[in-house]
Amino acid sequence: MGMNITHDTIAVRVRERPTELIVGLITTLFLADLLLKLQGTTVLLFDTHILGGSIGLSELFTYVLDGLIVGIAVGLAGIGLSMTYSILNFANFAHGEYLTSGAFVGFSTAAVIAGGSGIVDRMLLQSNPGLELLSTPIALTAGLIMAAISTIGLALLLDRLVYKPMRDAEGISLLIASIGVALLVRYSIAFIWQTGRYGVTGSATKVTILNLVTLTTHELTLLVLGVMSMIGVAIMLEFTKLGTAMRAMADNESLARVSGIPVEQVTRLTWIVGGGLTGIAGYLFVLESGTIAFNFGWINLLLIFSAVILGGIGSVYGAMVGGVLIGLVDKLAQVWIPSDLTRAAVFVVLIAVLIVRPTGLFGGVKTA
Amino acid sequence: MSDAAASTASRPEDPGILSVRDLDAGYDELQVLSGVDLDVARGEYVTIVGPNGAGKSTVMKSVFGLTTYFDGSVTFDDRSIAQQQPEEIIHHGISYVPQTGNVFPSLSVRENLEMGAFILEDVPEQQIETIFDRFPILRERQSQAAGTLSGGQRQMLAMGRALMLDPELLLLDEPSAGLAPDLVDELFDRIDAINEDGTAVMLVEQNATEALRRCDRGYVLVQGENRFMDDGETLLADTTVRKEFLGG
Repeated sequence: MGMNITHDTIAVRVRERPTELIVGLITTLFLADLLLKLQGTTVLLFDTHILGGSIGLSELFTYVLDGLIVGIAVGLAGIGLSMTYSILNFANFAHGEYLTSGAFVGFSTAAVIAGGSGIVDRMLLQSNPGLELLSTPIALTAGLIMAAISTIGLALLLDRLVYKPMRDAEGISLLIASIGVALLVRYSIAFIWQTGRYGVTGSATKVTILNLVTLTTHELTLLVLGVMSMIGVAIMLEFTKLGTAMRAMADNESLARVSGIPVEQVTRLTWIVGGGLTGIAGYLFVLESGTIAFNFGWINLLLIFSAVILGGIGSVYGAMVGGVLIGLVDKLAQVWIPSDLTRAAVFVVLIAVLIVRPTGLFGGVKTA
Repeated sequence: MSDAAASTASRPEDPGILSVRDLDAGYDELQVLSGVDLDVARGEYVTIVGPNGAGKSTVMKSVFGLTTYFDGSVTFDDRSIAQQQPEEIIHHGISYVPQTGNVFPSLSVRENLEMGAFILEDVPEQQIETIFDRFPILRERQSQAAGTLSGGQRQMLAMGRALMLDPELLLLDEPSAGLAPDLVDELFDRIDAINEDGTAVMLVEQNATEALRRCDRGYVLVQGENRFMDDGETLLADTTVRKEFLGG
């Protein structure tokens, strides 16, 4: 009897949402294939290799670790985007440029402090300053701080000049304005630093933790600072008065106003927190990859947007989780497809998740 | 209660804490109110009734600085508040409960109350306790997200949030809208209790008969002008008012 009811419900679900079933089947297929590969079993059908193969556990582990590193960076970058979306009600297409400008100002600062000849050349990153955590720790720390401060400054300036006068405008007008802002900032950066791709780090020392994980000091820095920043944001949102006010404003701005919450002040705080985190994220992106170019933020914006949408747009925790998932998919997809094509896998997963949960993983539960 | 109401003069002797004179207001270019006069005495319970689109809610929003001001005066506690923002007005002792969207759904019940006292430096634990005593269900549900509350509970939370600053005047915009009939009575009892504890109440209601029966004084608003003003029972007894605005 109970079985019958379950059967009926499943049958009805399959009929109503056949795509869910397909997504589920494909996921199962991939998991089965991965298990077979780990076991080293190959399944042949009419002499054609259809499932399995071989992959070492350590290889898989490397993919997971790389995925986490990319994921934390994307998640961190997504927080600011998600905040502006939920609190200020628009998708900020200039967000990528906040990453770029934070990274450029940060690494120029670090390059100048690291020393060498020709201060202007160093500021413009004309030669690789060979920054490395253990040999130039002060320069890199100063760079990180400048990345945060300069991006906060940029975010507040752009808000004052562009977004504040449009505060009551529709989201779509703000979105278009933000595309204009993105172009302006991107090509201002290109004007100062030119359009080359510059190496900024030296070869980073490798560290092994507990005989288990080997990663560079720069990757470790990204992981530690990224996770700490995320925890910091969560604590601020959940346990401070202004954080609660930010969530309140994300929920219902007009009720926040009639409750006496100073809406403009909370808006400014949103830019400060979001901008600071975005600057840090941009800096850590470059620290990990080792090179910087005027359009790297723009190129990564699509990935960040997908993280935010995957998590449920407007949810800060969704952005964090979405970022990590996207990073993992991007790297783990190498098990099946060439690494040049993994971006495609990211978007396939994004579409699959949206088919099953159109509001994203954390959608509907707004958490600022 | 009705005896007390009946003994009140048609216009209070004391000019009251809230006094609206000749108010013209609306939204952007659109003028909704013309020449509205309205008073609320200290601790009084005033109801505004009238047909749909008469501007009842607009009167209330105008008091709280949520409309476009054209002309006239709004004074509260001898202070002109006609062109002030809600952020300022809330400091003078007026709180407002909107008709819809009056809780923060993702915040917990307790956080909703805390946001009601945002302008205070510290969270007034004492006042939260007072509100929990008034609405015990909120104490039970304090860690739950407000979005999970039932309609009646939400309405209590919305009033609780507005009472966090212990206001002189509480503005309630159609609190009974969307509530099941058996909850409406309970809601009106709760409003009575808030009023009896000394808070002046200004109520906009589509449930006109019940609201007029309970209040001290009522205003009938028609096409953005106030047409009748008297104590509730008299308005209820008035044949014109009954026929035209209370459905016979």
